[in-house]
Parts: sequence; C-alpha cells; structure tokens
Amino acid sequence: MPAMGMTTAMGDTTEMMAVGLGHYLTVSAILLTLGVLGIFLNRKNVIVILMSVELILLSVTLNLVAFSATLGDLTGQVFAMLILTVAAAEAAIGLAIVVIYFRNRGTIEVEEISTLKG
Amino acid sequence: MIAAAAFYLFAAVLIAAAVMVVTSRNPVHSVLFLILAFFNAAALFLLAGAEFLAMILVIVYVGAVAVLFLFVVMMLDVDFAKLREGFQRYAPVGGVVGAILLLELLLVFGTWQFASDAAGFRLNPAPAGVDNTRALGRILYTDFVWLFQLSGLILLVAMIGAIVLTLRGKTSTKRQDIAKQVARSGSVNLRQPALGAGLGAIGIERPPVEPPPGEKPRQVEHAGHGHDHGHGGHH
Amino acid sequence: MTQQMLAEYFPILVFLGIAAAIASAMVGGAMLVARQKPNPEKLSAYECGFEPFDDTRRRFDVRFYLVAILFIIFDLEVAFLFPWAVALGEIGWFGFLSMMGFLGVLTVGFVYEWRKGALDWE
Repeated sequence: MPAMGMTTAMGDTTEMMAVGLGHYLTVSAILLTLGVLGIFLNRKNVIVILMSVELILLSVTLNLVAFSATLGDLTGQVFAMLILTVAAAEAAIGLAIVVIYFRNRGTIEVEEISTLKG
Repeated sequence: MIAAAAFYLFAAVLIAAAVMVVTSRNPVHSVLFLILAFFNAAALFLLAGAEFLAMILVIVYVGAVAVLFLFVVMMLDVDFAKLREGFQRYAPVGGVVGAILLLELLLVFGTWQFASDAAGFRLNPAPAGVDNTRALGRILYTDFVWLFQLSGLILLVAMIGAIVLTLRGKTSTKRQDIAKQVARSGSVNLRQPALGAGLGAIGIERPPVEPPPGEKPRQVEHAGHGHDHGHGGHH
Repeated sequence: MTQQMLAEYFPILVFLGIAAAIASAMVGGAMLVARQKPNPEKLSAYECGFEPFDDTRRRFDVRFYLVAILFIIFDLEVAFLFPWAVALGEIGWFGFLSMMGFLGVLTVGFVYEWRKGALDWE
C-alpha cells in the first residue's frame, strides 16, 4: 500500500495514529468484502445475513474513524455515533421481524419469504 | 513500536474473526466470533484515538447487540444444517463478487490522495489537550443538534416497532390499578342499622321462600326410595 | 498526543496478558493434572433422571426478546448521555435543552411501552 501522499499533505496530523491511514482503509475494505461475501454465502440464513450487515456497518464506522483521526476532524466520529445508533435499531427491528416470521411460518429461509410475490 | 504491533495483531484477529463469522457452520459460533470482531474493532478505534467510540462499541455492541443475536439464535430451534445447503453452490458467485469489490477498492485506494488543502476544510478540528469524550460532547449536542434529535427519533421508531411486532394482544396479564380501587364507590355502602333490627328494617329483602305445592310428597318418596336402597345395600 | 493517550491504556494490555495467562494456566493445569477416566456410564442419565447432555436450544418466551430490545434502546440512550454529562458546562442551555428534547422523545416511547404492557410479566 503506498503512502498516498498523505505524509506530504497532512504532515502535521499523521502522527495522530500509530500506523498510516492506508492500513486502516485496507482493513476496512477487507471487512466490507467479507460482509458482502457473507450475504452471498449464507443466502438462506437471515440471522447470518444480519450479522454480515453488521460487519459492513462496522467497516464503514472504521473508515469514518480512520479518516477522522487522520484529518484531526471530529465530524467523522459524530457520524460514526449515528451509524452505531442506526445499526442497533436495524438489528433490533430485523431480529424482531425474524422472530415473528419464524413464529408464523416455522422457518427462516430467505427463499421461502415470497408470500408477497405476485 | 508497540502501537503498530498492536494494530497488526488486532487487525489480523479482526479479519480472522470476520472470516469465521461468515463461514462457520454453527450460528452460535458466528455470534461468538462477531463478539470477538467487535472487541478487536474497538481496539482499532482506540489506536486511532477514538476512545469514546471504542468504549461505546464494547458496551452497546458486545453488551447488547451481540447478546440479542445470541438470544435469537438460541430462541429459534431451526435446523441450521439445512440452511447451509446452498453454501457450496453460492460460494463461487460470492467469491467473484467479493474479489471484484476488493480489487476495485484497492484500486481506488492506490491512486487516491488527499487534496493539498484538505486540512483547511476541516469542519470541527479536534481541539488539542481535550479528551475525546469532552470534545465530542462539545459538538454533538449543539452543532449536530438535528442529527442528535434524528437519532432519538430512530430509537423511538425502533422501540415502537419492536413492541408492535413482537407483542401479541395477549391481555391475560391482570394489572392492579390502586388508584382505581381506592376511588371506587357506590358498590360498597356502609350503614349503621339500629341494634337488634331485622333485615327488613334496613331494606334488605330476602328472596321469597315459598315451596311450590306438590314438592313435599316427592321429597318424601325420594327419601323412602333412598332408605330402601340403603337397606338393600346393607343386606 | 496519541502515544501519550495509548500509554494510559498500557495497563489494560498488561491485564489482558495476565488474564489470558491465568485462564490458560487453569484450563491447561486441569487438563494435565486431573485424573480422567472416561466411561459411557458417566454420561448416561442417573436412574430415571433427565439426560445430562441434551440440545441446548429451547424455545424462550418472546417476552425475553422484547426486554432485550428495549435494553438496547435504553443502552444507547445512556451512551448519548456520557459526553453530554462531561461537556455540560461548556454547551450551555442549548445543549441542555437539546438533550431534554432527546430524552422527551424517548420518554414518549417509554410511556407507550408502559401502557402497552410490554414491561409486564405474568
């Protein structure tokens, strides 16, 4: 991973972090890819799909925090806080839907959820 | 450089845990690896200087969201082996999509760089000498007031949605409303009747006890019958 | 600055190391030292008791789940309270009223769940 010219442009703020921004972005990209991969691999299991969505949101949060630390700007952390809120609400509602769907139909297979399909 | 070593350690564990989340056979293991991933992400936040978010990640995610996932996995007795049937079939497609996505992201990262005057465009520069939580508190409730109220509304919607979805109209619960009990009047009257007065004196009338005619002989006959039966039994 | 901040967390790293060492020493010591005589009879039910090893997955009541969700919501609410409490002296009345609005919205939700009986337990 190249240093991305960050050391020249942001020379004064680079020492905010122990490692460069590129490392954080790489970890975040791998995490995002794993989340997308998880949705593909576990196409039938809604619970694991929700966990993959959590992984994707975590990667986004990591991205925001890394940029916030590199630039020395707190806005990214405020938005990360909002993402955490949204992710918690999403998990709560998504799992509630899974629970009542299981209670009504006795399965959580995604492909069975096609009752509304015309 | 102990911080850099810690970063590589935590990042490696984070990615390994994420791999296990998506590939493990048992959803319970998936949830446990998700908890591990959240812990390591919190450590990465800490290394980036976002102390408050790291602690919130541990408290809210490890403490509540992961437990909720674990709860649901345990609550639904689903045949999870059956849910993994298409795993091999979907793996190539997912692998191709994931590889393309990763490649694109790395391409973007490789050629991208900050604008030379990016430091001048900072909206809320982190103040020096102030700890992270205080610096966040200074801007979160004033500069970002609408964002803050919006997150309150999101939480409200989540709360109401969860109640509407999962709470069935089972009103078998008997609630005690003490104020209602105390305020109740009319059905219980206190009176002070004169001493020795009969029930008729205070207005309580007994139902008429007038046996209809023809009842008495049948009773006698019945008694006699019973007596006969008893006699026979005795023999 | 970050280095100094991270130095404050170094004891936690030491703690993690010590905790891992103690836990692995306990588990490893038990595995090494304990006498192990596996026997199928040890795993069977005692007389007519229930099976000692069974599927752990039982159906819970949905009410537990509802309580867990409500716990998450209020957990986040408290998470928003921490920076507010730290910085209240600097954000003035506007910050105070902003948090009161937030708490008011969530209080509406709390009243709703109270009236719906979501917190009742039979």
